[in-house]
Amino acid sequence: MSSGQVTQPQAEIDSAAAQDELTLKQQEAIDKEISSTIPLVGDRECVTNLLPEYESDLVYKDKILEISKTYEFFRRMRPDGNCFFRAFCYGSIERVLGNPGAIQEYRDRLVASKDILKATGFTQFTVEDFYDTFLDVLDKAAEGLAANELLKLFQEQSLADYLVVYLRILTSAELRKSAEFYSNFIEGDRTLEEFCQLEVEPMYKESDHIHITALTTALGVGVKVIYMDRGLGGQHEFPDPENIAPAIYLLYRPGHYDILYPKGT
Amino acid sequence: MAATRRLQKELQDLRSSGIRAFRDVQVDESNILYWVGLIVPDNPPYNKGAFKIEINYPAEYPFKPPKIIFKTKIYHPNIDEKGQVCLPIISAENWKPATKTEQVIQALVALVNDPEPDHPLRADLAEEFVKDKRKFIKNAEDFTRKHSEKRPAD
Repeated sequence: MSSGQVTQPQAEIDSAAAQDELTLKQQEAIDKEISSTIPLVGDRECVTNLLPEYESDLVYKDKILEISKTYEFFRRMRPDGNCFFRAFCYGSIERVLGNPGAIQEYRDRLVASKDILKATGFTQFTVEDFYDTFLDVLDKAAEGLAANELLKLFQEQSLADYLVVYLRILTSAELRKSAEFYSNFIEGDRTLEEFCQLEVEPMYKESDHIHITALTTALGVGVKVIYMDRGLGGQHEFPDPENIAPAIYLLYRPGHYDILYPKGT
Repeated sequence: MAATRRLQKELQDLRSSGIRAFRDVQVDESNILYWVGLIVPDNPPYNKGAFKIEINYPAEYPFKPPKIIFKTKIYHPNIDEKGQVCLPIISAENWKPATKTEQVIQALVALVNDPEPDHPLRADLAEEFVKDKRKFIKNAEDFTRKHSEKRPAD
């Protein structure tokens, strides 16, 4: 039998499949290790707790000390690719706890966000599930959920993941709604649709500026990101500093987001 | 627990929508994570038979995708001898938690009806499909006659 132009020999397919399987197993082992040692959302701790992680790194040490002048505490997120969405979600609910007016306002925004989904064709009942779960948490907040109870809720994988899925779908819908604008920021020759399908909607895919801009716009909740990397660092406010003041502060280290708390909060 | 609630809704939805190409969906009351059903293709060479599949949902569903296995042997470039099928919509990479089982089934039925020889699990069949379509059709028809399940009456 001649080997086909269009198809690979069977042995090659099998060995590639075996390789994939090995890589997958290894990745699963790493993920398991991470999930058994780092909670989805951690306790609040001092920013200076980060220092020992960068023992021999002067650049980072200086940055931590600099950041700690403005932000006293931070809260770790599990580095699972969902960290931006979970940090946003936790931060946005935590800041309204104990403030019925703010909870109601957030609830109204969430209800309104469903229109963005409808307008962009996310109508399947499976989406409702994620939305309802989010609404439930806000209703619990309205009934007087305490901060430690919120933390407990977020440490339940299925609940925390439901909330993340809703925010991912909402981000995707917002990108599609303003496709003309956001298309300009898609790198390579992918379409916005492909980007949403591959980088926004699936779980565990990391977030970039474009995700943050879309989500903060969709919910009208501002985010300020403080960058801690080897470059110039600095900070950036989303979506647009002129219209919406930051409500949540995030610490960015390459590939990862945690929540920051300014002094006195 | 999340998986159970979601799957009950999906099952209800799937049964009421009544896809003609997917019949006899059976779910054991004691284990909602395991479904079986019958794929009833429209296109030759598979339209003379029906093919039993099982769908296994992980406990982490809908955050991890279901797995589909053909229990009936089928002569198809994208389905191997063990009944494994390569379906992008349920690959770990592409899986989206809002995807419904109904959408998965539709993608599966489309793949059965129209094989994709560029991404084969069985290289020999893909080659035959591309190089000698008539021979492929004949072999697949013979194979279907011999191994497949009976199609539902209506």
